[in-house]
Order: sequence, then C-alpha cells, then structure tokens
Amino acid sequence: MSNEPTPGSRTSESLEFRAALLVGLLVVLFAASAAYLLYARGVFEPSQRLVLLSDDAEGVTVGMDLTFAGFPIGRVRGIELSADGTTRIIIDVPRKDARWLRESSVFTLTRGLVGNTNLRAFSGVLSDPPLPAGAERRVLVGDATAEIPRLVSETRDLIRNLTQLTSTDSALAATLGNLQSASERIKGPRGALGVLFGNDADAQKLVVTLDRTNALLARIDGLAAKADQQVFGAEGLMPEARAAIVQLNAALLEARESLKKIDAILVDAQAIAGNARAASTDLAALRAEIDANLRKVSGMMDEVNRRWPFAKPAEIKLP
Amino acid sequence: MTSLVSSWSALSDLGRSALEWFAGWGRIILFSAKLLVLALSPSSYRGPNLAALARHLVNDTAPILLWFTLLTSIISLVIIHIVVVTSVSYGLSRFALEMVVRVLVLELIPLTAAMFVALRCALPNAAEISLLNARGVFDGTSANYAEPLQREILPRVMSVTFSVLLLAAVSCVVAAALAYVWVHGLTAGGIASYTRTFGRVFSPALSLIFTLKTLGLSLAVGLIPIASVLYDRPNPRLRTSAELRGLVRLFFMILLIEIASLVGNYV
Repeated sequence: MSNEPTPGSRTSESLEFRAALLVGLLVVLFAASAAYLLYARGVFEPSQRLVLLSDDAEGVTVGMDLTFAGFPIGRVRGIELSADGTTRIIIDVPRKDARWLRESSVFTLTRGLVGNTNLRAFSGVLSDPPLPAGAERRVLVGDATAEIPRLVSETRDLIRNLTQLTSTDSALAATLGNLQSASERIKGPRGALGVLFGNDADAQKLVVTLDRTNALLARIDGLAAKADQQVFGAEGLMPEARAAIVQLNAALLEARESLKKIDAILVDAQAIAGNARAASTDLAALRAEIDANLRKVSGMMDEVNRRWPFAKPAEIKLP
Repeated sequence: MTSLVSSWSALSDLGRSALEWFAGWGRIILFSAKLLVLALSPSSYRGPNLAALARHLVNDTAPILLWFTLLTSIISLVIIHIVVVTSVSYGLSRFALEMVVRVLVLELIPLTAAMFVALRCALPNAAEISLLNARGVFDGTSANYAEPLQREILPRVMSVTFSVLLLAAVSCVVAAALAYVWVHGLTAGGIASYTRTFGRVFSPALSLIFTLKTLGLSLAVGLIPIASVLYDRPNPRLRTSAELRGLVRLFFMILLIEIASLVGNYV
C-alpha cells in the first residue's frame, strides 16, 4: 500500500490547477474591465455640478462632452425639463478641470449640418472668480440648420423679385427701353442736351446762354486785369499806402520820444513840488519863531516904555 | 373532399409541430432550471465532479484560447482599418474610435465567440451526451438521477459557458488595445481621450445590456445543444439529427438575444 500520488491523480491536480488559472484569468479580466469602466465614467474623480439652461436641448445626449479650447472638461450627466419648460442640462465637471470655468464664462450649444452637437465653454477673463459648484447658466444656442428654412425663404423671395424685375412688362424693362431711346437721341445732332430738355428749341436757348456767358466772362476777365493794375501796379494804391504807413511809423516813433521827454519833465516837476512842500513846512516854523520873537520884542518895548519918562501910550507901529 | 381532408391534415401537422416546438422550449427551460440548481449546489464541486469540471474547462477552453484570440485580432485589425479609413474619408475621424468600440467590442466579438464555441465545443459535447443518453445513463428511473447530471452534463455546460465568457473577454480586451494602437500609435498620449471615449460609449444601461447579452449568449451555447439532444424526441418525418436541430434552436436563440440587445441599445 503506497501513499505516492498516482499518474491519474497528478493529471487531475494539473487539470484543476490549469482550470483555476483560467478562472482566475476570467475574474481578473472582469475586475479590471469593471474598474477601467468605472474610471472612464469618472466615478473615482471628484467633480462639481454645472447646470446649463436652454430652450431646446435637441441633439444633447447623456455622456456627451463639454469642451474648453477643444479639450473635454465635463460630461453631461442628465437632461431635465423644468416646470417652466426650460431644459436643464446637468454637467459634471471634474474639480481639476473646473479651474477653466469662471464667473464670466460663456457656454454655447452648436449644432452642425451633419447632426453633431457640441457644448463649448469660453472663458475670456481667467482672472475672474471661479464658477461655484451647482451654478446655473444660460447656454447660447447656435443652430446652423435652423438658419436653412429662413435662408430658403429669403432666397425664394429674392428669386421672385428677380423674376419680376426681368419680366418683359417690368419697370426695369421699360426703363431699359427708355434708356435705349435716350441713347439713340444722344447720338443725334443735339446730343445729351436734346435728351435733357426734351426739344431742340430749349437746347438752342441753352447754347446761346452759354455763348453769352462766355462773352461776359471774357469782359469780367479784362475788368479784373485793369483793377489789378490800378491796385497792385507801380502807380497803384498799394505802394502809396505802404509809403504812408512807413511815414506814419516814423511819426509814431517821434511821438513816443516826445512822450518820454514829457515823462522826465513830469518827474522833475514832481520833485520840485515835493521840495516846495518841505519849504512851506519850514516857513511855518520860521513864522512861529518870528511871531515868538516879535512878542518878545513887543514885551520888551512895553517894558521900556513903562520905564521910560517920556512914555507914550503903548503903541507899536509895525513896519 | 380529398383536398379538404389533405388541408386539414396539413394544418393539424403544423399545429402539432408548433406545439412540439414550444414543448421542446419548455423542457429546455426546465432542464436549465435543474442545472442551475445543481450549479448552485456545493456537491457539484467535490470529488470526481470537480475533476470532471476542471477537465472539461481546460479541454474546452485552453486549446482554442490562443488561436481564437489571434483570429479575432486579425479580423479586428481589418475592421478597424476599414472603419478608420472610411471615417477619415468622410471627415468623421473623431467618431472612428467610438464606432470601432461599438462594432467590435459590443457587437461582433461576443457573437463570434458564442458561434465559435458552439461549433467547436458545444456540438461535440452534445454528441457525447447523445451517445450517453442512448446508453441510458440519464434514465429518469435511476435511483440517483442527479448524479449523472452533475458528473456528465453540468461540467460540459459550465465549461462551454465559461469558454464563451473567457474568449469574449480576452478578445474584447485585445481588440480594444489594437484599436488604440491603430488610431494613436504606440504612445501614451491618447490614453486620456481613449478612456473618455470608452466611458462615453459604455453608459450604465449599455454596460448592463452588454453584460446580460454576453451572459445570455454563453448560457444559450452551453445549454441549448445539450438540452436538445436530451429532450428533442426523434421525428421520423425530419431527416435532420438532434444535434443539428439543437444548432438551429441555438441560432434562433442567439438571433433573439442579438435583436433584444440591439433594441435595448439603439431604440
């Protein structure tokens, strides 16, 4: 009796090991695929919410990207219809990409001709405050296909107008006919004047008027030449006026010199007047002194007369 | 009078055939439920049952894994090239990668894996079971009815199911890697955008439908051929064998699963 493994049991163990390897491979593949898908869906990435409001969300699908400068920075998570009929496009923006969105950012929803729809963000001023989480913004809708019906309608109107313009009984055709007859008359003897006045007599009058105007202009020209000679010629008014002005300038210079002298005389007179004022002040003091001396002399004479035997009544005879 | 009788006879034959067809599907569903119960029973993974399971698992999967992967890689490269060149010529190159992922990973590879395993493993297994059945191994009067099911049928069904899942998983991963290399080249610069494309394609609903589809295909390939040879009664009017009828049933079920998956994904 031996405990050694038989070839059959070894084979069985080997098979079980290989089967376990295969099962392990499948489990690893499933787990890795699930993890990769969760990562690709942004489950492990912290994000903030942005709500874009629009009147029409046609073409927007869950999972589509919000791009900034061509780079995807967010993903549409859901589309709702609010109570007032506005479409709410809910977008998850990873926090690491949210720095590209600012308070002043503008969001656009553009639809191409082949049906592709793009959500784009534009941030002109990156120094503005960052967009807060849960912010709601209006999205500007630019629809290339929406312009087509209007364009077709306007083109149809344009073509109708062109058809009316080019029809045989149209105003343009009549105008062209008139223009043709006018050009025929221009080729005639009166030319364009005949077309303008409508008859030859009036055109002739204009020609005569022009001739007389020419003659008048010739006379005015001669008159102007004579006036020029009279005014600006060698014996004209202008040279004499210039000489008179020169003389006037010389007279003015002399007058200025005279005025200067008068100024000096006035200064001297002012000094004399000052001296006279001072002299009159001294004269008053002298007079007071003379008055005092005269009173003293009078007093002395009165004393002499009183003492003198032959006194006479006190009478002073002033010279 | 004769024509009326013949019409009535044809009509009754058609009704009988339809009833038999539906009864066959009912027996297959019942058989699947039994196998599911057995698959959940721990006794199915002990002793000789485990050895049989390991043997079938390795024999049904290992020999075909490498060259099936090689084959799908070549086909994938051709399809990737066609899709990318066509997209570029129409100016839709930014949709090329998404289209490649949708066409290959979501649709073609699971279907190819199921068909390949059905022809390579499921039909031979069904033929073996048919022989065993002819020998009375699965006679319902036997005392231990579950034992032959656990030893002979459950390992085969599980190995085929596992084979479809593993081949599809490996080929999908290889095709996804080939698509990246073909579009971006041998550089890591495109990983971020590729991952983003992958995330955009595999929405939760689509991932669920893809998983259910692959699981459904693998179970159908594992169960239907064997159940057909066990429960389809021999019909002397039909010149086809039970294995071939099982294959037709299998293709019908694969078609139903594909339609359901397409409706779920794109409608």
